[in-house]
Amino acid sequence: MDNFLFLISSLRWQDIVDIGLVSYILLRFYVLFRGTNAFRVLIGIIILWFFQQVAVSMGLIVTSWVVQGVVALGAIIIIVIFRNEIRNVLLARNLKSIFWDFSSKTVITAIETIVQSVHEMAQQKCGALLVFPGKEDLEEVVQGGIPWQGAISREMIMSIFWPDNPVHDGAAVIQGNQIKEVAAILPLSRRDDLPSYYGTRHRAALGLAEATDALVIAVSEERGDVVVARGSELKIVKQKRRLEQILLEHMGVAVKKGRESRKEKLAFIAAALFSVIFTTGVWFSVSRGVDTLVTLQVPLEYTKRDLSMEIVNTSVNTVNLELEGSGALIKSMRPDQVQIRLDLSKSIAGPNTFSITRNSISLPPGVVLKGVTPSVVEVELDVLIKKELPVQIDWTGRLPDHFILEQATVMPKTVEIIGGKRMLEKMQTLYTEKVPLDNLDVEGVIAANVALNPASLKIASGSEERVTIKYLTRLRNQ
Amino acid sequence: MKYPTFLFLLLTLGFFLLLPINAGSQSGNVIGLVEAVMCEDTKGSAPQNITTVFSIERRTAVCFTVFDPVPQQVVIYHHWIHRDKPSARIKLNLKPPRWSTYSSIQLRAEDIGPWRVEITDSQGNIFDVLRFSVTE
Repeated sequence: MDNFLFLISSLRWQDIVDIGLVSYILLRFYVLFRGTNAFRVLIGIIILWFFQQVAVSMGLIVTSWVVQGVVALGAIIIIVIFRNEIRNVLLARNLKSIFWDFSSKTVITAIETIVQSVHEMAQQKCGALLVFPGKEDLEEVVQGGIPWQGAISREMIMSIFWPDNPVHDGAAVIQGNQIKEVAAILPLSRRDDLPSYYGTRHRAALGLAEATDALVIAVSEERGDVVVARGSELKIVKQKRRLEQILLEHMGVAVKKGRESRKEKLAFIAAALFSVIFTTGVWFSVSRGVDTLVTLQVPLEYTKRDLSMEIVNTSVNTVNLELEGSGALIKSMRPDQVQIRLDLSKSIAGPNTFSITRNSISLPPGVVLKGVTPSVVEVELDVLIKKELPVQIDWTGRLPDHFILEQATVMPKTVEIIGGKRMLEKMQTLYTEKVPLDNLDVEGVIAANVALNPASLKIASGSEERVTIKYLTRLRNQ
Repeated sequence: MKYPTFLFLLLTLGFFLLLPINAGSQSGNVIGLVEAVMCEDTKGSAPQNITTVFSIERRTAVCFTVFDPVPQQVVIYHHWIHRDKPSARIKLNLKPPRWSTYSSIQLRAEDIGPWRVEITDSQGNIFDVLRFSVTE
């Protein structure tokens, strides 16, 4: 109990936000994908994953391997097989409904327009076939549709099914508040128990309803009936209000009453609770799991340096940080997440002492700093000045024994460089890079670069890094 | 009135008569470096094998200098410097009227690299700087 209270009291506000956000994301997934086949497969995969964890903890090696394989395969199956279903769920909703809306309602005014249009077509005995997809994908069942992408209006629906319109014979697919496709060909039902007065239009409506979770409305041009096909059922709907209710229910907007509504609320509360408990469990296992101590060697970074000065010496280049955190956090830590930055804005020319405090160290969330070695760093800065120095050739190798290098002159004789004042005050000569003697002719001209050591030195503008060497050799007097 | 004018003229004349004598005595104290070379050896007051590169196999590097005039006995120095670090300071006596002198160092493996010899008087005024390298 004390441990539990300690855990709760150690939570920061960021941790609560962390858990809350992830729980909400999980709940959103549930709201968006409930009732889809992909969601059912996902639940199955999660159960298998728990089973695999149990198998691992019990030491069932082969079982855990097999289940792990099935879980991996399941993840691929969800993405590949249900890609259209996932796409439909996301496409059918606007951004607000993806992040906030808890019902899957479409625009109610669109439903009212559809009902009004269907009623008028029935009165005029104008045949029509309207498809309202559910959560299942219709792409493989519905064929030959012409993309329409038109906003719903009474005139639009009426004109699509006007007898002289070339697309009036097919079905119109309506999703949300848009007519997605027209002239779509639906699969025909093979049932032989249908009344003889039901023609091809009714068979098509039932055929699609049987194959998917879509709702199809057929308007008979002979009798002016409005028939709703859902599942394996064909139902004549005479009242506009009833048709509207059926459509609202199908779109998930209708107010459900009694046991059905209570059941749905309970399922939602259970999903919300599961999201919070699951996320909290994962959060505690990741951030408050078995503590791991690690020592990292982190390079020092310097910020806000006065541009007229440069760092000429530091007592250390790296600092050892002792860090503590859960094993999972420590293992997932990247080098760029751990940084030590020393603020040089108040530094002066000459030696400066900096203490490495918690404020100068950035760590990933959940990782605790236990120690810093060394905790004090000496940084020597110097003011930048220019100095002209003579250049001397740094010969290497050797000439043949009977030769001597009698003369060697450098052009230009001096080079101006920029560097720290304290450093340049001690420097009296610039040397070239190593110039080999082995390949020299009797006399000649070669070029060499000035060696800038330390590398912080820079050649001043107006001077050149490359110098020319004119040399003369001759035979040695024995 | 005539006496001050006469006195002024006399002093002016005396100044101009004395000036060349003093100036002459000053220039007479200045020693002149007429030759400064690095060489492998000396022979009969002359440098042998003047060079700017010494192999450590040769074992010796010599800095040879000739001063003319040398008005009076003075001291000069040869400062041997390896990569900006003083290595040796050799004191040499010069005697009138002309004097040749040299200093040398024994070369070891750790001496490989660029060197210079600064030739100075006792006050540290530099007559010349000779630059050379010691190689394998």
